[in-house]
Amino acid sequence: MSRTLTIEPVTRIEGHARITLQLGDSGEMQDAKFHLTQFRGFEKFCEGRPYREMPALTARTCGICPVSHLLASNKACDHLLSVSIPPTGEKLRRVMNLAQLVQSHALSFFHLSSPDLLLGWDADPASRNLFGVMRQDPALAKDGIRLRQIGQSIIETLGGKKIHPTWVVPGGVNEPLTQEKRDAMLGLLPEGLEIAKRTYAFFKTLVPRFKDEADHFGNLPTLFLSLVTPQGALEHYDGLLRVKDAQGRILEDMVPPLEYERLIGEAVEDFSYMKFPYYRPQGYPQGIYRVGPLARLNNATTCGTPYADVALAEFHMLQESGPIASSFHYHYARLVEIIYALEMMQRLLKDPTILDPRVRARARSNREEGIGVAEAPRGTLIHHYRIDDDGLITWVNLIIATGHNNLAMNQAIRQVADAYVDGNALQEGMLNRVEAVIRCFDPCLSCASHAFGQMPLRIELRDPDGGLLDLLSRD
Amino acid sequence: MKILVIGYGSPIRGDDALGPLVADRLESAGVPDGVEVMSRHVLTVELVAELAGRDRVIFLDAAADAAPGRVDCRRLEPARDAVSSMAHFLDPAELLAWCETLYGHLPECFLISAGGASFDYANYRLTPIAERAVEQMLDGVRRLMADEACIPAATHQGRAAAAPSPPEPDTCA
Repeated sequence: MSRTLTIEPVTRIEGHARITLQLGDSGEMQDAKFHLTQFRGFEKFCEGRPYREMPALTARTCGICPVSHLLASNKACDHLLSVSIPPTGEKLRRVMNLAQLVQSHALSFFHLSSPDLLLGWDADPASRNLFGVMRQDPALAKDGIRLRQIGQSIIETLGGKKIHPTWVVPGGVNEPLTQEKRDAMLGLLPEGLEIAKRTYAFFKTLVPRFKDEADHFGNLPTLFLSLVTPQGALEHYDGLLRVKDAQGRILEDMVPPLEYERLIGEAVEDFSYMKFPYYRPQGYPQGIYRVGPLARLNNATTCGTPYADVALAEFHMLQESGPIASSFHYHYARLVEIIYALEMMQRLLKDPTILDPRVRARARSNREEGIGVAEAPRGTLIHHYRIDDDGLITWVNLIIATGHNNLAMNQAIRQVADAYVDGNALQEGMLNRVEAVIRCFDPCLSCASHAFGQMPLRIELRDPDGGLLDLLSRD
Repeated sequence: MKILVIGYGSPIRGDDALGPLVADRLESAGVPDGVEVMSRHVLTVELVAELAGRDRVIFLDAAADAAPGRVDCRRLEPARDAVSSMAHFLDPAELLAWCETLYGHLPECFLISAGGASFDYANYRLTPIAERAVEQMLDGVRRLMADEACIPAATHQGRAAAAPSPPEPDTCA
C-alpha cells in the first residue's frame, strides 16, 4: 500500500512551500516533490506598464532581495536604452549589489540555518530555533545581526532610507557619491570583515561533524551555471555565462548573457507554480544545473581578493577533486562570498574614481527588447522585456535564482529522504533533515510567492484512501 | 532620552501604508534631538540592534483586525515564545524578545496602530477613513516622544469619524 508524507509549511525559508514524500508498500521512498503553492504572476501583470516602471515594480517582488531585482531590471532597461553606463555608475551599482549579498547571506547562515548547524537536527524542536541559538551562542547571533546591519546600512547610505530606493535608474544611478558617505561606508567594513573571518574560522571547525549530511544533502552530479569575469574570476554584477559539468569540464564559456535562451529552457510541472529551468543542450529533465554561491565558487578560477582567495582554496579542499558536489556546502560558499563582498567593497570604495560625478547616461528607448542579468545572492537572475513603440511592456520573462535550482532541490529532497526517512516509523529528526536540505539552497520563494501569516508545521502520513496513519505536528 | 520610531507596512497595499506614511510625515515635520525615525516594509533582524541602544521604541502599524479608522496605543511586552517561520518578524514583540535575550536590554516599547479599511494590492492610496487616522497617530507618537508614558485612554485612543463603535481598547500604560 503506497502512502504520501506531506511537510507543510517548510520553515525558516523565504516564503511558503510544501514537500511530499511518496512511500511504497514496504515504506520505501518512491518519489519526492517540492511544491511552490502560491501564485503571483508578476510577468503577466507587468504587461502594459511603461518600461521605466519595471525596476520599481519588480523590486516589490521581494522584501528581502529587492536590490537584486532592481539591478537586473535596470540592466534590462540599460539594454533598451542601448547605453553603456558610466564606469562610476557601474561601480556604485556593484557596491550596492555586494552589500545586498552580505546581508542576505548573513540572514541565511546566522538566522535561518544556524539552529540546524549549532543545535543539530535531532534536538528538541522546542529549542531548535533562534532562541536556542541565542542561548547557546549569543555572540554568534549578535555577529549575524551586525553583519545584516552593515549590509543594510550601506544600501541605505547609497539608496536613501526609503523602503524601495530609486537611486539605481536606467542608465546608471541618479546621484553621485559624496566623500562623507564614502567614508561612512568604508568605516563599517573592517568590523564586518572581522566578523566574517571569525565566523568562517568557526564554521570550518564544524564542517567535519557534518560528513554524513554532506554525503546525503543534495550530493548530486549536476551542472553549474554562473557569471564569471572575462578572466574566469568570481563575478556578481556583470560578466559572461559559464556552465561547468560535474567533472569540472567547461561546457559553455564566455557566453554573453543576452544569449541566455540558447543555454536555458524552461519546463513546467503540474505540482508546482515554480518553473523548472534546464540546460537546453541536454534537454529536460536531464539538463539539471545549480546556481548560487556553490555554483559561483565552482565556476570561478579565483575570487580576486586576498582573504577570499585563501578561503576559496580551502573550499576546493572539501572534496578530493572536481567541483564541490554537496549542496550542504552552500553554507560554506556563502561565508566565502561574504568575505569576498566585504573585501571587494573596500576596494571599490577606496578607488578615487568612485566620487566621479558622471554616474548616469540619459537616453530614450532605442530597441524593442532588453535583457538584464546579474548574480543575486541565491544565483543568476534574468530579466527579459519586450516593449512597443510607446515604451509599454508587451512581454516579460523573469528567471529567478531559486527557479534555476528547482530540479536540483527536488533531487536533493529525494536523496535526503532515501537516506533518512523510514516510512514505517516517523521521527522528527528525519523530517527535519528533509526540510534542512531545502534551506541549503536558501530558496527565496517570496520571489514567486509572498506569504502572509504563519502556519504550524504538520507532517501527515496517509494511506491511499486518505486515512491518517501517522502524524507529527509542531505548533 | 533616546527614542526610535519605526513605521512599517507595505506602501502599495492601501491602508497597510499607514505605518511608514506616518513615520515619513513625522520625520518631514521634524523631530527633537535623540529621536530617530525609520520606515520599513517588514520588520527584519538587524532592527534588533537598533532597539538595543534606545530607551523607548514606538512602532507604527496598520491593523487588519481593528475597526477602520480606530487608533489604539498599547505597551508591548517581549513575546518570548514567538518564533517566526520566515526571515521577517511578524510581531514587534518578537523583536523585543530578541533584544532582551541578546543585549540584556528592554526598552519601553509601544505600538500605535490604526484599523485599515482596504489592503488591496497595487493600491497606493489611503482610504479617507485611514487618512483621517493619520493625525491621531501623529498626535499619539508626539505624546510618547514628549515622555508622556502614561496616557489616559480617552485622550490617546480614538477613531476617525464614521468608524464603527470600537470594542474596549488596550491601554497605553
